[in-house]
Amino acid sequence: MKRCPVLLLAVVLLCSKLYAQDKPGIKFNHVLPADFNIDNLKVDTSYGAVIIADIGSSSFDGNNKGWFSLIYKHQRRIKIINKKGFDLASVEIPLYISTKTNSEERLESLKASTYNLENGVVTETKLDKDAVFKDKQDKNHIVRKFTMPALKEGSIIEYSYTINSDFLFNLQEWVFQGSYPRVWSEYNLDLPNFFEYVFLSQGYNPFDIKKSDTRTTTYSVREQGEGMRTETYTIPATNTSTRWVMKNVPAMKEEKFLTSLDNHISKIEFQMSGQQFPNMPYHDIMGNWHTVSDALLKDEDFGERLDKDNGWLNDDMKAIKAGTTDNLEEAKKIYAFVKNSFKCNGRHGIYLTTGMKETFKNKNGSVADVNLLLTAMLRHEGMQANPVILSTRSNGFTNEIYPLINRYNYVICRLDIDGKRYFLDASEPYLGFNKLPENCYNGAARTINKEVEPVYFFADSLRESKFTNVMLFNDETKAGKWSGSLTTILGYYESSNIRDKFIDNGKEAFEKKLKESYSGDFSIDDIKYEDEKDGEKSIRMSHNITIDGDNSSNIIYFNPMLKEGYKENFFTAAERKYPVEMPYKMDETYNFQIEIPKGYAVDEIPKSAKVSLNDGEGFFEYLVSKTDESVMLRSRVKLEKATFLPEDYETLRNFFDYIVKKHAEQIVFKKK
Amino acid sequence: MKKYCLVSLFSATCFLSAFAQTNYDVKLIPAELLPHANVVKRMEELRVVIKNAGKAVLYNKYAVTILNAAGENAAGLTENYDQFISVENIAGTLFDENGKKIKSLKKSEVQDLSGSSESSLADDARIKHHNFNCRMYPYTVEYQTEVELKGVFYLPHWLPIEDENFAVEKSKLIVECPLDYNLRYKVFNYNKEPQKTLLKESQQYEWSVEKLPAIESERYQPEWHEITTAVFLAPSNFEIQHYTGNMNDWKEFGKFIYALNIGRDQLPANIKQQVHALTDNVGSSKEKIKILYEYMQKNTRYISIQLGIGGWQTFDASYVASKAYGDCKALSNYMYSLLKEAGIKSYYTLIKAGQNRTALLADFPSNQFNHIIVCVPQPKDTVWLECTSQTLPMGYLSGFTSNRYALLVDENGGTLVHTPDYNKLENLQTRKIAADVNEEGKLTASIETKYKAQQQDELQGMLDAVNKEKIAEILKEELNLPSYDVSSFNYATQKAALPVVTEKLELTANNFASISGKRLFISPDVLNKSTTKITQADKRKFDIKIPYAFTDVDSVEITIPAGYTAESIPANVTIDTKFGTYSSTIKVNERKVSYVRIMQRNSGRYPATDAVLLADFFSKIYTSDRSKLVFVKKD
Repeated sequence: MKRCPVLLLAVVLLCSKLYAQDKPGIKFNHVLPADFNIDNLKVDTSYGAVIIADIGSSSFDGNNKGWFSLIYKHQRRIKIINKKGFDLASVEIPLYISTKTNSEERLESLKASTYNLENGVVTETKLDKDAVFKDKQDKNHIVRKFTMPALKEGSIIEYSYTINSDFLFNLQEWVFQGSYPRVWSEYNLDLPNFFEYVFLSQGYNPFDIKKSDTRTTTYSVREQGEGMRTETYTIPATNTSTRWVMKNVPAMKEEKFLTSLDNHISKIEFQMSGQQFPNMPYHDIMGNWHTVSDALLKDEDFGERLDKDNGWLNDDMKAIKAGTTDNLEEAKKIYAFVKNSFKCNGRHGIYLTTGMKETFKNKNGSVADVNLLLTAMLRHEGMQANPVILSTRSNGFTNEIYPLINRYNYVICRLDIDGKRYFLDASEPYLGFNKLPENCYNGAARTINKEVEPVYFFADSLRESKFTNVMLFNDETKAGKWSGSLTTILGYYESSNIRDKFIDNGKEAFEKKLKESYSGDFSIDDIKYEDEKDGEKSIRMSHNITIDGDNSSNIIYFNPMLKEGYKENFFTAAERKYPVEMPYKMDETYNFQIEIPKGYAVDEIPKSAKVSLNDGEGFFEYLVSKTDESVMLRSRVKLEKATFLPEDYETLRNFFDYIVKKHAEQIVFKKK
Repeated sequence: MKKYCLVSLFSATCFLSAFAQTNYDVKLIPAELLPHANVVKRMEELRVVIKNAGKAVLYNKYAVTILNAAGENAAGLTENYDQFISVENIAGTLFDENGKKIKSLKKSEVQDLSGSSESSLADDARIKHHNFNCRMYPYTVEYQTEVELKGVFYLPHWLPIEDENFAVEKSKLIVECPLDYNLRYKVFNYNKEPQKTLLKESQQYEWSVEKLPAIESERYQPEWHEITTAVFLAPSNFEIQHYTGNMNDWKEFGKFIYALNIGRDQLPANIKQQVHALTDNVGSSKEKIKILYEYMQKNTRYISIQLGIGGWQTFDASYVASKAYGDCKALSNYMYSLLKEAGIKSYYTLIKAGQNRTALLADFPSNQFNHIIVCVPQPKDTVWLECTSQTLPMGYLSGFTSNRYALLVDENGGTLVHTPDYNKLENLQTRKIAADVNEEGKLTASIETKYKAQQQDELQGMLDAVNKEKIAEILKEELNLPSYDVSSFNYATQKAALPVVTEKLELTANNFASISGKRLFISPDVLNKSTTKITQADKRKFDIKIPYAFTDVDSVEITIPAGYTAESIPANVTIDTKFGTYSSTIKVNERKVSYVRIMQRNSGRYPATDAVLLADFFSKIYTSDRSKLVFVKKD
């Protein structure tokens, strides 16, 4: 008798466990007192809220415009733990409308409730219709907003809505991970066989459930026929339903040296590839790189103008190229003209935002406007110039295999002269001929021409080299006072950065800041630059330094790195989940020489050292020597890679720790 | 002769257009306006036509020359509008360096955008925006706008110099109003009376300036209107929606606000019961206030909804009771209603909030407020309640609303009062560090810091907003140590009239002490190194205004490895100035280094000539905070 309850309990546990494996373990619209207890959750509850269930589905329905609509349903239950999670109670639903094509995304059947546990009883407060607001952001974007009523620490909130969309290309992606932990994240897709989509999933979390079923069904599509008659078509279909579930997904955090968090988040995306209706020929939508390239070249918002003779450019081109004798020189002049006289509004995207003539007249436009115009101008002169499309680092990686055009957000120009390739970007005034911004170094890109040649831009192919030389001589007036010079050839991207600052705030402001950064005993003057305006080269900068040291105690301490050493380790976090994606490889050399003060002797110099990183991935060298007159130092930090895996993080962090340590060491002069 | 004819012919045909349009050739800018200028306003005429108490039209025409990219912020046009402001017309023209017209604005190029702020759930603020996006510096843009105010609840102000590095060639403000209209204005840095003209059915006021050179901003400078020409305007009688009032004095202004909100203090029966259940058996009224304030904090949250007159008028108390949210007006009104139900008199209070506030023009009654709080006078003192916070202790205002004027509102109208100021002993930060340094220079430290009053505002704000993991992340980024790890941290808030946050940290920092051969270098000021530097003090133009007073006390004890003797110990430093005091003392006793740093900063206003002294004060602190002890290893 006594054993019975135990057995029973075991069976119940077993059942509930089976049940829990396949279902979120809660019922929407049905909140129980036990649901308020979060003790058994397997996710971190320190975030202020937990998303208990996040379930989305997409399916298709015949509409009465003679075509199909996408039906996206989203329902969510959130447990608010404390007020830090309150921001999850304010919801924004973005909707897209296009008056041009009379298409829209419609919000339907929005329901939302807040549940509170009061004296053991669950109370429900529904969201009022009049508490849903509409913010028209511009002519294409509407945001519907609401916030949950009667919200308290400890509340459970639930909401659900449907978006009925005319945009079949925009089959909603599903993001399994976000800034709050999720106990259950699920997406369902019911796809008729006549629509084909490519599925793309990414991230480090495995699916707990991934299951597909097929069934047969029919769709009916209605259309206004002649007169008032409505035509109805019935289309048989074999549908594939797929279900993806992730359980107990941790929250996602931003880290330094990441291309984009979006490259690492767990999500699944869809891209329409084709349509196959009964008794109809296959309609290829995604195509392959060749068809996509052809279409882009014919597209009036991309390449159509490139092949035209563009006679309207004739007069201006004459003036721009005046005096040039060879192709390369002419190309450089055209590039300089566009770069210097056009203002790029910073907008990314691969399509023109306005006509090319208009861009030329207004002297401004998006990156695509400016660089496609540059391509057209080079072609006008009979040169072999082609657009290259790519995705910037912050926009995320591209897919090399599928021609997923919407992943590309940037256009540059590729120029081939005498078998040599040049890549041009005229959208940034500080760049030079055949130089690209760091942000473009994000892997695979494509030339949009007949051959659709792939091209690659890897951060690992970039090297940022900096070379600094410091010479300090005794000032005859006082022991412990030196004057001398610092000369530095900056890295290319540091040079670009400074050029950008010159443009934005002026040289005066830059020099003021630089002077302010030297303080106490240090002062600098006579700042000079070489190649400051030549965007193809790095800037060589030099200035005088005066150091008026303290010699009151017979001992002078001196850090030979001056202001140039690493004072802090930029890898602050003790551990890391994602790769370290630096923008380039680095190579920094610092040479230093100081004269020993008159009447003083060197009491101590730092010890020389050399360490290498992970077997040839980089090294740090710190060599100190002395003669009777001077002390010399050479410090070099070199990394042979820009991207490091999470497992290499600790050694990388230790490597920089060691640099910080050595760079703090001092030379000691003692009175004889 | 022939030449002369040609010229006169030319000028005759050009006369009409020249009359309508100024020549914007950049060469015509007076040379004295160019130093430090990124932008030169070539002309401006702001014409404010007040038709009656409920309607005004603003005609603005201005042209700015953008000399370089740093002046680009001034190149675009942004007009805000909502239910009470409509933008009737926008015209614009772009000119090149020589003043030659390049193009005119097309209506379709004006963007119409939402002006809702990120933090707002719903408001009707919208923006019309235009920019020629030109990069051929220098160039000139000319804009002309016509804006109608439906309801003259506020009027624009005139600040010819809009920003630093911004010069003005000429600018004019003209106000036209009915003959019997009492135009109110307040003028700064303008030494003449306005030019008054009587027209047939109206009167006209005119202020104008010419050739104002650019201003370079200075650290701790006074408010903008104190250092440049400014004219503030305000109506006397006004009307908005169907509400009328006048702002001749604060009393009348308060009456208007009271009328706007009258009858909105009705609580639903269940909340009334709650109030009584919570407070009926409580003796002291201070205790009742505390209970009700905490009840309000626990059961509501801040959500901003500003639609139409709702930008000024509160939601009903019953709305807050059912939704459990509201904006500053709604939550303050709700708090007022709760107190009223408990028989405690309080005031709905208007204030100009913000950490870096520009002070209220107390002698110029007008609509200068952006926030509402509640004031509860008590026999001995006054209790202030910030109702949009769910965490502040009762009575504490924080730097957001402390030390400034506020307007109490009741049925008798408005009364201007001053909110409390927290002095330098109240804004206190005390830190104790007990640490060891090992043979590798690694620091292991236990740190306890108490932040009080305004010194805890920012920290408490962070603790309220972010989760523990994020705090850990912030802690691992923000300390100014070479390479460190925070192994544990803990925060405790003492909710007193002056709140105190106690922070306990355990941390290790690699290479904290630098060891070069036989020497060990230590900077004993572990965490509180001043970064303030005052540059170009000898050329200072403006008064010095130091916003708030505080005291920092740091006591540090560091034990160094055995076997070292001190070679160099920085001398003790004591500085005593009118800006504040500073002292640092270092003692070494065998392996123990004891360091005490005390800094007190006063708030106050000082003449520009004091800048050299101020620079010297901060410079000495900067150096002292970075001084190092040197130890040598015994052989």
